[in-house]
Amino acid sequence: MTTRFDRRSVLKMGGGLLAASALTPLPAFAQSKSINYWHTFTSQSEAAGLEAVLNLFKAANPDISVTPENIPNPEFMAKITAAVVGDARPSVTMVASERFEDLLAMGALVDMTDRIAAWERRGDFDDKRFAAITSEGRTYGVPGFTFVDWGYYRKDWFDEAGLAPPTTYDEFREAAIKLTDPSKGRYGFGLRGGPGGQNFIVNVIEAFGSPVKKEDGSIGLDRDIVVEALDWYSGLLVKDKAVPPSAANDGFQQMISGFQTGQTAMIWHHTGSYQDIASKLEPGVEFGTFAMPAGPVNRVARLAYAYNCITKEQDADAAWEWIKFWGEPDAAVAFLEKTGYFPASSVAAADDRIAGNPMYKAASDTLGFGIPQPSFPGAAGWAEGTVLPALQQILIGQATPEQAADQIMEGLAQAIE
Amino acid sequence: MSRGPSITAMPPPRNMWDAINPVRLLGELSETRYWMYLLLLPSALLITAIVLFPTVYGFQLSFTEMRLNRPAGNGAFVGLKHYARMLSDPIFWVSLRNTAVWVTASIVIEFGVGLIAALALNRNLPGTKVLAVLILIPYFLPNVVAGNMWALMLDARVGVINDLLVKLGFLAEYKAWFADPNTAMAAAIFIEAWHSFPFFTLLIMAGLKGIPADLYKAADIDGAGPFAQLRLITLPMLRTIIAAAVILRVIGLVNSPDLLLILTQGGPGRSTQVLSLYAFQNAYKDFNFGYAGALSVVMFVLLMLFAWAYIRLSKVNQD
Repeated sequence: MTTRFDRRSVLKMGGGLLAASALTPLPAFAQSKSINYWHTFTSQSEAAGLEAVLNLFKAANPDISVTPENIPNPEFMAKITAAVVGDARPSVTMVASERFEDLLAMGALVDMTDRIAAWERRGDFDDKRFAAITSEGRTYGVPGFTFVDWGYYRKDWFDEAGLAPPTTYDEFREAAIKLTDPSKGRYGFGLRGGPGGQNFIVNVIEAFGSPVKKEDGSIGLDRDIVVEALDWYSGLLVKDKAVPPSAANDGFQQMISGFQTGQTAMIWHHTGSYQDIASKLEPGVEFGTFAMPAGPVNRVARLAYAYNCITKEQDADAAWEWIKFWGEPDAAVAFLEKTGYFPASSVAAADDRIAGNPMYKAASDTLGFGIPQPSFPGAAGWAEGTVLPALQQILIGQATPEQAADQIMEGLAQAIE
Repeated sequence: MSRGPSITAMPPPRNMWDAINPVRLLGELSETRYWMYLLLLPSALLITAIVLFPTVYGFQLSFTEMRLNRPAGNGAFVGLKHYARMLSDPIFWVSLRNTAVWVTASIVIEFGVGLIAALALNRNLPGTKVLAVLILIPYFLPNVVAGNMWALMLDARVGVINDLLVKLGFLAEYKAWFADPNTAMAAAIFIEAWHSFPFFTLLIMAGLKGIPADLYKAADIDGAGPFAQLRLITLPMLRTIIAAAVILRVIGLVNSPDLLLILTQGGPGRSTQVLSLYAFQNAYKDFNFGYAGALSVVMFVLLMLFAWAYIRLSKVNQD
């Protein structure tokens, strides 16, 4: 037997079901003890580090549930911008220091000054650690960990060639040239000319004597110095041929794999890649670490911080519990052991598990002279959208250092106008 | 044949509740000519919300100052400032030229390979069903997956393609395809074509099924060879489908920067910088939504002009 449904009976049933659904009890939503955390961790070691911190946090705060959400670095600004504009903000966001000014300007961050002032572990952190997340006396985040710029070198190759780790740009260049042997597929330096390489170019410019942001807060560059710096840096490939020919497109993965697979003798990065490299090469035997060498005028090594910031008022209390937990020595050391990222807390950094490890000496030394990344609204976009392509153009023979310097100067003027 | 009266007479309400019963009222409405508009309303609202409003807002943005990291001047009307800046912006012109190369080369290769694949698969030989599935696989891969997969295969250190080319004697040493401005765009176009040619295959295959076999039989009798049949029967009969496919792919290629974002980010230098990527970078790296809006409007206008010209030139409307 078949039952025929006419339009009226379907409408009646639909209306009835709709009315019935309104009478069903609404699910009881667990309120506000559940937060989400946007981060940019991508590698396996970073994921393991985050998991270690999450497990410790869960044990200490069983009533707060943290949902981590990975936002790949290249997409981060697009996603957070859309989240802020669309008011779909995460509870807590990991903010790299160079992104602070842009995010603050777009109103993405919640003022945490009072919470931080009342925090029992505030004294564990040097005041300088908060400088890059403070604007007009208000502080918007707590440093979760530190990116300490340093270099990795093939200790076995250096020993074989009778070289010591470089301490100046001249020594660095000399070693890079000496260790280059194209017949063996070896190059002295794995220059990162692809995505993410922009900050090292700015570092070299500053090391040659032209800081982007002056002490008085003004922003600008000295063209002659920029030309000189670009000439030196690009010259490692263009003149000295001490860099793999793929440099103009080499991002993080290419640079790291080049070092791991024995293509390059030195790379510049930060402490965060330590575990990745140690997973393929033996620390202290096959590779070592060195503090960033001094340039002709300045020694520039960045101390950049990954800040944890409240980005949604609604979940602020639970978010604050999660954020301050990163300052606990046990959490900081657990994270370091999995990733190599340095603690931002001075108490945690003095822990024997860190201070007693000779491989971390270069990073500990850098804490003494390292400086933060220049930060101003538009800085990140300028570095990525102008500085990097300008260097690439020299590397591929499409521009001279002078032409690239002009692009960089013009781009900076546009960024700050 | 008459379908009878379109509006059925409704029985009068039996009581007060019946007069205001929403289900009954809806039932009554369903028998009027307004019912059609009511059914169209949700989709019309949806299109307004997610297509029309953003488009109009994008146009409006292009005439305003909107830099998210400069909140002070935001929202101010700046007239044609962004468009004037475009005229003297060398990156815009490089991007425009690269967009033309990127779209033209990709379409030509995708159409050519797609047509050959469709003609081959249409012969219904043993194994063509399996081959059809295999050929369509690249199209089902997300751009992110396809991009990362090819980036690894073409890697200058560990890439399997480099390894094969060296072993076969085509290359003396591994090549950094994306670091050389002479090969970066070509490599990206190759990957794009590999990824998207099945779109043409799929549509052309559907079109081929609709061509009467009698036409080919008659052509055979008249002595027309395979190429003459292709030129005089197949391609003209597929004209509408080809026009639709080309327009859709051109729109996709002009608007989607994702593959280039993964492979090159516009580099090295500006050698793979295209308009969509430049607009994306202006919006999400520089937070300059005003200028990005103006770039998007230019892309929109170019696409409209292309679609209009293409439809006119291909004479699709005359069918």
